[in-house]
Amino acid sequence: MKREEKAGRGRALDIRCQGPGARADDVRQVIKLVEARRVYGRPHHQQKTLAELVRGSYQETDFGTVLVASRRFPPSYRHGLLPIGSVLEKPLHPLAAAAGSQSGKELRADRLLYVDTETTGLMMGTGTYAFLIGVGFFDDDGFTLRQYFMEDLDQEPALIAAFDELLPRFDGIVAYNGRAFDFPILETRFILSRRRLPGHIEYLDLLRTSRALWKDHLPDYRLTTIEAEVLGYRREADDLQGWMIPHIYFTWLRQRRPEPIAGVFARNVDDVLSLVALAGWQAALFHDPYSFDLAPPEWSGLGRLWEPFSWERSRACYQEALNAGLKGELWQRLAKRLASIEKRRGNWGEARKFWEECIAADERFDPQPWEELAKHYEHRAKEYTRAREFVLTALDRALECQAREAILARLQHRLTRLNNKCEA
Amino acid sequence: MVATSLRQLLDDLLTSPGIGESRTRYFDARPARTAHFPSWLDPRIVDALRARGVNELYSHQAQALEAIAKGNHLVVVTPTASGKTLCYNLPILHTLIHDPEARALYLFPTKALAQDQLAELNALSKSLPALRMFTYDGDTPQDARRSIRARANVVLTNPDMLHSGILPHHTKWLSLFENLRYVVIDELHAYRGVFGSHLANVLRRLKRLCRYYGSNPQFIMASATIANPRDLAERLTGEPVEELTESGAPTGEKLIILYNPPVVNPELGIRAPYLIEAARLAIRFLKEQVPTIVFAQSRLAAEVLLSTIKSAVEAKPGDAGLVRGYRGGYLPGRRREIERGLREGEVLGVVSTNALELGVDIGHLDVAILSGYPGTIASMWQQAGRAGRRNELAAAILVASSAPLDQFMVENADYLFGSPPEHALINPDNPYILIDHLKCAAFELPFSAGERFGEAVIDREVRALTEEGLLHEAGGRYHWTSETYPADHLSLRTVTTDNFLVIDTTARDAREKKGRKVIAEVDWKGAFQMIYPKAIYLIEGEQFEVQELHFREDEEKVAYVKRVSVDYFTDAISAKGIWLLERFDRTPAAEVEHARGEVLVAEKVVGFKKIKFQTMENVGSGEVELPQQEMQTSAYWITIGQTLLERISSSRDELIDGLRGVSYLLHQLAPVFLMCDVRDLGSWLGEETPVGEERRVRTVREIRQALLELPHFSPTIYLYDSHPGGIGLAEKLYTLYPDLIRHALTRLRECSCQLGCPSCVGPVNEVGRKAKAVARALLERVKREE
Repeated sequence: MKREEKAGRGRALDIRCQGPGARADDVRQVIKLVEARRVYGRPHHQQKTLAELVRGSYQETDFGTVLVASRRFPPSYRHGLLPIGSVLEKPLHPLAAAAGSQSGKELRADRLLYVDTETTGLMMGTGTYAFLIGVGFFDDDGFTLRQYFMEDLDQEPALIAAFDELLPRFDGIVAYNGRAFDFPILETRFILSRRRLPGHIEYLDLLRTSRALWKDHLPDYRLTTIEAEVLGYRREADDLQGWMIPHIYFTWLRQRRPEPIAGVFARNVDDVLSLVALAGWQAALFHDPYSFDLAPPEWSGLGRLWEPFSWERSRACYQEALNAGLKGELWQRLAKRLASIEKRRGNWGEARKFWEECIAADERFDPQPWEELAKHYEHRAKEYTRAREFVLTALDRALECQAREAILARLQHRLTRLNNKCEA
Repeated sequence: MVATSLRQLLDDLLTSPGIGESRTRYFDARPARTAHFPSWLDPRIVDALRARGVNELYSHQAQALEAIAKGNHLVVVTPTASGKTLCYNLPILHTLIHDPEARALYLFPTKALAQDQLAELNALSKSLPALRMFTYDGDTPQDARRSIRARANVVLTNPDMLHSGILPHHTKWLSLFENLRYVVIDELHAYRGVFGSHLANVLRRLKRLCRYYGSNPQFIMASATIANPRDLAERLTGEPVEELTESGAPTGEKLIILYNPPVVNPELGIRAPYLIEAARLAIRFLKEQVPTIVFAQSRLAAEVLLSTIKSAVEAKPGDAGLVRGYRGGYLPGRRREIERGLREGEVLGVVSTNALELGVDIGHLDVAILSGYPGTIASMWQQAGRAGRRNELAAAILVASSAPLDQFMVENADYLFGSPPEHALINPDNPYILIDHLKCAAFELPFSAGERFGEAVIDREVRALTEEGLLHEAGGRYHWTSETYPADHLSLRTVTTDNFLVIDTTARDAREKKGRKVIAEVDWKGAFQMIYPKAIYLIEGEQFEVQELHFREDEEKVAYVKRVSVDYFTDAISAKGIWLLERFDRTPAAEVEHARGEVLVAEKVVGFKKIKFQTMENVGSGEVELPQQEMQTSAYWITIGQTLLERISSSRDELIDGLRGVSYLLHQLAPVFLMCDVRDLGSWLGEETPVGEERRVRTVREIRQALLELPHFSPTIYLYDSHPGGIGLAEKLYTLYPDLIRHALTRLRECSCQLGCPSCVGPVNEVGRKAKAVARALLERVKREE
């Protein structure tokens, strides 16, 4: 919900202030859901408190009390196709660096905190609270998942204090979309509790790596999509949608009925488990890609991820993508990318090959390969006549495809220069 | 060719026939009063000043430095180009080079002014230890923002950005809030009315956060001349403020001429069109190479004037660009180019709206021509102040239009020159404004029980917000419990922040998004007045016809235009309606009821007139289909009973003419009593209709028809606040209506026209031949009823 129900009185009621009707429907849907649970909910649950429902207990801090629900999972516990402990089996490099680790330190999966927050809104800024912080971490012989919950907004200092107590034991925090969401929200909540996030903590965001891997392969890269399409995990059918969460919490604040909030706890458990499973999946993907049945765009994405760390590994992944039959636009993009990398590395023959392939496959007129090849003939090979012939062909093709003025002008300029060189 | 001197040109003008009704006022040159640099001022700053040729301070600068050093909040009120920026820049630079952690926040009403001041600061501090000074506004690149937030010593921004981009994200601005020493508010006079009331609340929020982070900044303000600068400064900041009003800067001699265009039709009381007269004067000066600025009262007037002046002055090839336009809506690049051209002398003349009234640096011009009274005495002095160099003669010429207010000013030169400039009124506790800022403030930090917001006691509001579910009480604090981001729903200036892009499709298809040519921006409200389909949109004299206007919520707000060449411009025809929401007060009278309350005002542009450039005659019209805009505001109204009306005339037609005359006259006169702008009020002749389902707006012609057909004829004249929600103007009118009626009658008796003119009930050809007589009879009856 991004809009208030009541239009601000006194403000001009121009046509747009009435807002889209869908919003009001959204709220109605939430109310219906909440009400339905009250009426049809199992009666014996109604007697249970939230602490009982989520099997939690109250933790005392110097700043007050906070509700904590803990669960333990063995590393062999499967969340989808892989056990959650698989993240412990592979080196975290270069996954950690690709996910945003800055220090270059070798990070260990058992020294990371896997975090997902539930908030009172999606807007950034100081008025959005993180009311539930779910954290997962590996300890002695298993995986602990702990959820800190503030039963009312004045418990925030206790919530943050309890979370803060954990941090010295870890080197970093992993989250999904953390860079844009969880990390800044935590930072804000720390400052408003008169604290600072400890300086040694690294921030890893698996959205960054997921985007590279799956943006051309999946319809979107929401965590729920990835867990279903990649990790092979299906959530229990639930009508609780992410956008309802703030309303469920606001309703809890006023009515204190625990069932809907318990649903948020359950959802948060799934999110944290998916996060650690995803970290394991991606670590394995980096180091053992051949054990996965990867689609061409995934190979290409993996190549992209390896690029800053190992050109050899990157090149190998790209090659797999090409071999596996990457097509159309994606192929074009990769070929161009490979051409410019090879050019940068001084492998002119390779670079030329890719540009020529681009030109051969181009249906519209993409000026870049043409210009690159023209530059090659003119400046490197110094075959002016051939360069001129080539630019003339390019111009024909550009005109045929109704290319923009600026492109035509550039080609024209090049042609004039080549004419002069040929005459000279 | 030796250009005729300005003195000669002015002599010619003042001895020309037809000048008889004009008035002049001469101001002597005044030498500078100077003072030494204070001994405590860092020698590196003194050196930097000397390097720029500043060897002493003006007396007011030295006084300002002392006041600031003492830690007082200060407002400096001195004219344009008196060096007021040094008043705040010097002490702030001094602090910053001694304390690299210290922070200063500068607020300007526009982005352009912040850019100007940054350049000024950079120039001044070139030889000083490195300081990090940045503008922070909508144009700041995302990747630069983080470092600005963490490290900038000086942040130059505007109230809107402070409101929606800084305060709600205060945790990201930790180092600013923890170390904030100075808040500079320049162009203080710009913050009056609704905008000022908003700023006062934004500053309450700022101070609240400063308290949270343990800082207590000093406010330094600069204002053009207004009647109550200290009062305004104190209302805005909620702090006791010291005031400095004596400028030590020198001024050259100056002549101000109130020019009344000659009467060309004595019977109808019609004078030569003032726009044509203003253009004629400007052309005369510009042809003699006298740098001249022309101020117009609207964007359309500016463009029409510019077209006329350009075609006369830029006669030779190579003259192009000698005269430029300047107004809101031009893109920033174009504006910067014009400002630079003026400073460097490549641009000789400029035709501007009040956009150049603010302190944008355009150097010095010799002549300012004000085409039409700008609505307030303060604006008049600001605009006239654009002309003037240190040691030479300068002139400002106010060309009066035939509007009653203009005519009043020309006829009463002593009033114009002798009256103090207007009061800048703000009402930070206006409930509509306050409640929106309380939401923003709660989003920023929970309210404590019993907390005050500035001076305001807000228990009631906090309770109401809690009942609405927007706040939630826990542990004695009231927390924001809504997913919304309240600052996004509140714009400090207009109803919406959406601007329309005007896109030239002469050479390209509208659907081609890439590389499209944006030629201007128009705000939401202006869009329906200026860029409706088939409108001629003028930009620096070039004509474009609007092809399509996209305004639906789900589409990008754009107008597609194509270049045309026509000899007319277009003027929008609006339809309006007013419905009564609630009556707060009324006078118990049988025949005439004065009342005040809340109304709903709806407006809609339904068509346009085509007006020929040279002659200003009406040469055609068209219809348009645009959305209706509604606002709630406060109004004062007079309802006149049928019996009384029937005693004056048996013709409803004549009565309607008379009533329209009265409403015109009251609307034009009321600003004099309210010390506001004519545009701050709206007027309407209709009837008392409670708000209902169908809210159909009517043009002036349609409302006449509706009044004629009323079964019970008891019409109502409305005067309402034109700011959404109202800022107290209507309430005040209700308390002083006897004065208003009395003055209206005096005006009618003393006006020398026979049948009505723009200075009383409106031009006779518009209001009808009986209007003046009926209006007078009406007002006499209304007065008797009191």
